[in-house]
Amino acid sequence: MTAATSAPIISAKAVTRAFDDRVVVDDLSFDVHQGTILGVVGPSGSGKTTTVRMLTGTLGRTSGEMHVLGEDPMRFSKRVRGRIAYMPQLFSLYEDLSAQENVGFVAALYGIGPFRRRKLIRRALELVELTDARHRLARDLSGGMQRRLELACALVHSPEVLFIDEPTAGIDPILRQAIWGGLRKLRDEGRTLLVTTQYVSEAEYCDRVALIADGELVAMGEPDALRQMVFGGDVLQVETARAVDPELLVSVPGVTNVRQTAPRTLMVTVQDAATLTPRIIDELRAGGVEVAGIEEHQPTFDEVFTSLVEKRRADRGWADDGTGQPRIQADG
Amino acid sequence: MGSIGESIIRMASFTGKELREVLRRPGVLLSLIVGPFLIMFIFGLGYSGFRAPFATEIIIPEGGGLPRDAAYYADLAPGRLDARAVGTDAAAAEERLRAGEIDLLIVVPENASSELRNGQQTTIRVAWNQVDPVYDQLAGLATAILVSSLNAEIIEEAAAEGISFVEGELGPAVANVPPEVIARPTTAATENVAPTEPAVLSFFGPAVFALVLQHLAITLTALSMVRERLSGQMDRFRVAPVTSMELLVGKYIAYAVLSLAVAGIVGALLVGVLGVPLLGGWLPFIGIVLLLTFASLGVGVLISLVADSERQAVQLSMLVLLASVFFSGFVLPVSDFAEWTQYLAYSLPVTHGIGLLQDHMLRGSVTDIWMLGVLAGIGLILYVGSLLRLRRILRWAD
Repeated sequence: MTAATSAPIISAKAVTRAFDDRVVVDDLSFDVHQGTILGVVGPSGSGKTTTVRMLTGTLGRTSGEMHVLGEDPMRFSKRVRGRIAYMPQLFSLYEDLSAQENVGFVAALYGIGPFRRRKLIRRALELVELTDARHRLARDLSGGMQRRLELACALVHSPEVLFIDEPTAGIDPILRQAIWGGLRKLRDEGRTLLVTTQYVSEAEYCDRVALIADGELVAMGEPDALRQMVFGGDVLQVETARAVDPELLVSVPGVTNVRQTAPRTLMVTVQDAATLTPRIIDELRAGGVEVAGIEEHQPTFDEVFTSLVEKRRADRGWADDGTGQPRIQADG
Repeated sequence: MGSIGESIIRMASFTGKELREVLRRPGVLLSLIVGPFLIMFIFGLGYSGFRAPFATEIIIPEGGGLPRDAAYYADLAPGRLDARAVGTDAAAAEERLRAGEIDLLIVVPENASSELRNGQQTTIRVAWNQVDPVYDQLAGLATAILVSSLNAEIIEEAAAEGISFVEGELGPAVANVPPEVIARPTTAATENVAPTEPAVLSFFGPAVFALVLQHLAITLTALSMVRERLSGQMDRFRVAPVTSMELLVGKYIAYAVLSLAVAGIVGALLVGVLGVPLLGGWLPFIGIVLLLTFASLGVGVLISLVADSERQAVQLSMLVLLASVFFSGFVLPVSDFAEWTQYLAYSLPVTHGIGLLQDHMLRGSVTDIWMLGVLAGIGLILYVGSLLRLRRILRWAD
């Protein structure tokens, strides 16, 4: 991975996009450095696709600055266009063309001649494991295969920067893993990827994650750092032989939070799990409680995301009224 | 590779893609080629051009002085009147006319003979019951012929009576002039100088052909581009280093190739199987087909750039087809329309296509050369307009 000190390949500064009076992306800022995967994670309608479309130059922005490979997307030169790729959220290829023909068509859009094209088509189809299906018409491919075909089309001209919108939407978990494996392979080749997903758990696969809700950046960082940020440290799951009073651990130095999730289960947030695990066992024993098991708990990204969004909404005085739209919570 | 080379690759990619897509739907292709030919074939077999004479009843009052033989009246307007009966009951005949049992009713007034002898003009009432404007005109024409022939018959009869009197006054020379010569001093010897014999199939063949070509170009282009706009494919084009000109030229070439192929096959069937003459040769024929396709593609692209859905694109294409059928001269001559309507007619590519193809195929040369210029002009204006609109669309979404 390239150091974050190099100039960012993708950057957004205070970007806002409004459709009439409705603000869809609000004051968004982030950088993406070469050879990294930035996962833009958020629920459906949170502004992910709008962000990607603005970055690819397919949608104008209302205010703010954006740069990809040093150029403003609204004024991309042909040279930069040839170095980026975009995989749209919806299947937009030609159903009456075979997989191979679709990839070939996209390659030709980038001015690749027929002889070089043949080799690149083969390589792109191999990468997404569609070689055997190359002669099948796109309409005869399964949903997962169509997503992979879209990916092959995005990869065929060997782009340096890829904008991939919801590559795993509607795809089974096994195939989702395979797709992420392919994306990480591309990252390892030195390419820069900006990938959107509504599956919060997929944040695990990214080098950095931008959590978006209601068009705003909720948090941004490496997945583990985000976890730390949410829970204030490492989380230990402690199982005891009998019911336990959580107050036993509250005063232990280094323990920041204790939650009882069941009569004999405690979730203990500590500054450093490695050093505090023996201390917690000792404290419980001293209180007459035997420890049946203790292990570090990895909170899922769903938990991280939910916590962050709820915290943000609470800070703003919003509450979820079930409509998916924020509302102002009544005083008192 | 240089930018011109890359540009050619991009245009060729659109051409190849469009052709492949059409060829992958053999049913569509088959209907494009076989459909028009089959329609013309059935039309040629089924339509004789013969129009049944009007079923006519003639009412002559008792002692009216005119012949009561139905055949006599049928002969006055040959092929136009089927004189079914000569009767006296006008009210009953009127009922039959309203019931649609007869087409034409001729009522001679009771005092026809006396009015004539008194030097007064007699008015014969002719009535018909038609809502079809063409039949309405034809009934009027048949009536005019009938009245003219009847007048001639009366003059002939009067002349025959007068000659005996004049002979005594002016001498026997007058007797050499037969009464029918006095009644009809001139006759017409007709001749059609057109290089081909007028025939229904020959006349309508090029018109159907032009209409099919226009409709094919409009529908395929409109649908193809609307689909790309709605599927999100335009975003891919926006990101890729593709220009609006490359996209448009690539598509134009694809549909020009397709139209030429369809025109070649349907044209060969028209000439070879249905016997429609092609007096002007194949090369100018191809030129006209290309010009018509160029202008029609412009209409298709325009539709695709304004339509919000495939359904709307189809509806707009059908509207153009409907306007083409009514105003292009396909059914009714363009000159029959009011002047302002003629501008609408001449703004349709098919109007020029029909005129040019009929001239070229049936006369061997184009009489209205200006139509070639107008066709090229329509194509050019629509191409430039579409290019500008597409350039705007490809820049970025609003």
